[in-house]
Amino acid sequence: MLVTWAYKARDTLVQRFDPRARLIFTACAMLSILQVWDLRWLAGWLAFTLLAYRSARLTWKETRRFWLVVLPLITFLVLITALTGRGGEEAYQVAHPWARLHLGPWVWAISVEQVVFALGQFARMLALATLGLLIPFTIHPAHYGVTFRGLGLNDKFAVATDLAFRLVPSVARDFQTTLDAQRARGYELERKGAGLVRQIRNLAPLIVPVTIQAILNGEDIIDAMDLRAFGARPRRTWIVELRYQRRDYLLMAVGVVVLALTIAAKLAGYGDFWVPPGWLPGP
Amino acid sequence: MSELALEVHDLSYRYRSRSEPALQGVSFRVRRGELVLVAGASGSGKTTLMRILNGLIPHSYRGGDLQGTLRILGHDPTGVSLAQRSLWVGTVLQDPERQIIGAYVFNDVAFGLENLAVPRPEMVRRVDGVLQALEIGHLRERETYALSGGEKQKVAVAGTLVMEPDVLLLDEPLANLDPAGVDEALALIRRLVDAGKTVLLIEHRVEDVLRIRPDRVLFLEAGRQRYFGPVEGFLQVAHPQEVKLPAEVAVQRLRAQGVTVEPPPRRPRAADDAEPLIVLEGVTFGYTDDRAVLHDLHAAVYPGDVIALLGPNGAGKTTLVRHLIGLARPRQGRVRVQGRDTRAVSVAQLARSVGFVFQNPRHMLFAPTVWEEFAFGPRNLGFPEERVQANVRRSLDIVDLADYATVSPLALSFGQQRRAAIGAVLSMDPAVLVLDEPTAGQDYRHYIAFMDAIVRMPFAAIVFITHDLDLAVRYANRVWLMHAGRLVADGPPEEVLAQDDLLQQCRLRPTSLLRLNRSLLPHTGRFLPLESLARLDASLFA
Repeated sequence: MLVTWAYKARDTLVQRFDPRARLIFTACAMLSILQVWDLRWLAGWLAFTLLAYRSARLTWKETRRFWLVVLPLITFLVLITALTGRGGEEAYQVAHPWARLHLGPWVWAISVEQVVFALGQFARMLALATLGLLIPFTIHPAHYGVTFRGLGLNDKFAVATDLAFRLVPSVARDFQTTLDAQRARGYELERKGAGLVRQIRNLAPLIVPVTIQAILNGEDIIDAMDLRAFGARPRRTWIVELRYQRRDYLLMAVGVVVLALTIAAKLAGYGDFWVPPGWLPGP
Repeated sequence: MSELALEVHDLSYRYRSRSEPALQGVSFRVRRGELVLVAGASGSGKTTLMRILNGLIPHSYRGGDLQGTLRILGHDPTGVSLAQRSLWVGTVLQDPERQIIGAYVFNDVAFGLENLAVPRPEMVRRVDGVLQALEIGHLRERETYALSGGEKQKVAVAGTLVMEPDVLLLDEPLANLDPAGVDEALALIRRLVDAGKTVLLIEHRVEDVLRIRPDRVLFLEAGRQRYFGPVEGFLQVAHPQEVKLPAEVAVQRLRAQGVTVEPPPRRPRAADDAEPLIVLEGVTFGYTDDRAVLHDLHAAVYPGDVIALLGPNGAGKTTLVRHLIGLARPRQGRVRVQGRDTRAVSVAQLARSVGFVFQNPRHMLFAPTVWEEFAFGPRNLGFPEERVQANVRRSLDIVDLADYATVSPLALSFGQQRRAAIGAVLSMDPAVLVLDEPTAGQDYRHYIAFMDAIVRMPFAAIVFITHDLDLAVRYANRVWLMHAGRLVADGPPEEVLAQDDLLQQCRLRPTSLLRLNRSLLPHTGRFLPLESLARLDASLFA
């Protein structure tokens, strides 16, 4: 059985918008963020998304698991990019030395541009993650299917997307149940002193049951849908009805305009990589 | 319009991957508005028959060999789409979790109507109508995954009924319900039949179904039709050690036929001054801050205990047993397992003392062979290889899977997987065995066989959760009764199960075996299993 994301109905500005309008706005915002590397712009976007997050009144408890995965992941990616020196090669050509770190026999030369790029990358990823987080935690799970249908997907794809959307929390639940069942058999996730291959093999008691369960659940869902006439008619109806309000049109218009302005600004040469002048070494 | 809802003639089916037919030569006719009980052990062909009637065979199960003829409401269903057939025959699957698709109750109930492109206003009217008819209107805006087992069952029925099929197939609808939930579900089924629906009810809990007066019984055995006809004839055909019949009938039959399987003797409890194995001291626990699931719970497990943990759905039974192995840790109070505070040791360390068998075996089976599956636990605990091998061999014998040692556990039937899950825990030699609803959805003969074997094993103590009062009567020497997160009774079955008010409060209903035992208690001094009752002097039953 599929479970839903931890949704809680709240009378907030974010939740008052039609989910279709919010998805369109979110897509425009994400595309706009992906266009730019200017730290000032990215900081602005980050501030905006955190404001939206705050206005949605989501609690730490609700979103803790998401952040516990996403924050270390973002940090890891930013550090890897910075440490390998691969990031930003296309963004800047000149690198000004900032510091030299001595790590045992290794010396790591850090440039100002590398630091600025890492900060920009962090702000960019965090802004995108925050926007993405708002979708499952603030859209009513009963509205997923009709929302995707309203965005132009056909009926079958809309139902399938609705189910796929709920797959992530369902797999997470099965994973936890399996982890509990294996721990009760003396299993420990981390084996001290085991090599990488052994550590990967050690995941089998978790991965195999969760995968099998996901396949069986998939088969169950197909049978259950067939037994209730799924695909019987060329078109289906939806019990949930969504209606756009004036504010929804406004939100979508703002999203499209912002995206258009960002593209125009990029074409005009704005929004590229930028280093605060004060951070550069003097002549 | 045909007076017959179903006409089945010489029906046989063999699955693509099997050499033997799952169903062979089955013929019966069901009139409109009849209630038919379909009984039989696991593997008797009940589910295969249901799949043929609702069209999943051959639609989803392709490549098999289907023979014989079938007419539904006078129509030949050959070539009829599954969707069209779902308007004739509605199916409620054994596990409502496998049937519910929508995230919310009103979404889910409307799913079939949406697929039939019913206009929205009519859809809303019909959904609300069926929710009211089933008395679950209050669930309309609830998330489906957060419902209790009984509520999910009713939502699954609603989602099928709303499509207004003439024939309903119900596959073990009582399997996960507490006794009061069983009563409610049976009353609902009776109302549907009285309203003109034709119902085929597949169920292991024969004794319960007989209370709503089925018109006929179809009894299957190893894929063949053993009996089809009125209830009275079925009671003479079915063996009381294979099918759960009303206790009075079963005792009578056993007296006439003789007992073929001996029940295990009741285990003696330890002396009062024995050291407890597990102690719960003032345990309070909740999954969220705002709602406690367990309230200030005090209890202890002693050597020799066989404890039946009873209570309604949502009483906190599973949460309580999760504390015994550290999968849940008290917010207040403490749990000590063989002297160790569960907060100070890992679950893996506690697994040496307490073996916990989860409800669904599919959450734990992973190894390439049953042998490796059984060896996984003892190896994790660091047992020497000789002991691992010996334990695995012994466990394979106990759960009757020695012939499957080299087979993948994922290739076993669901009933065999449940036994494999139990065997995998047995091989760890725990002092205390904890089983969460070990018999749910299992047929009578199999669950009696493996519970008999488990009780005979040398565990220091056994704790099992069940909704089946007869299991408590047969095996337990102690009963814990839970209600709303509190332990409301703790004592011998003869004391706890004698209190009708308490049972009613906990949504439990005395079974025929319990009633018979209570009436004979002045003579027997303790509750007895069916086989022992059958040996009592005939004058006691007069």
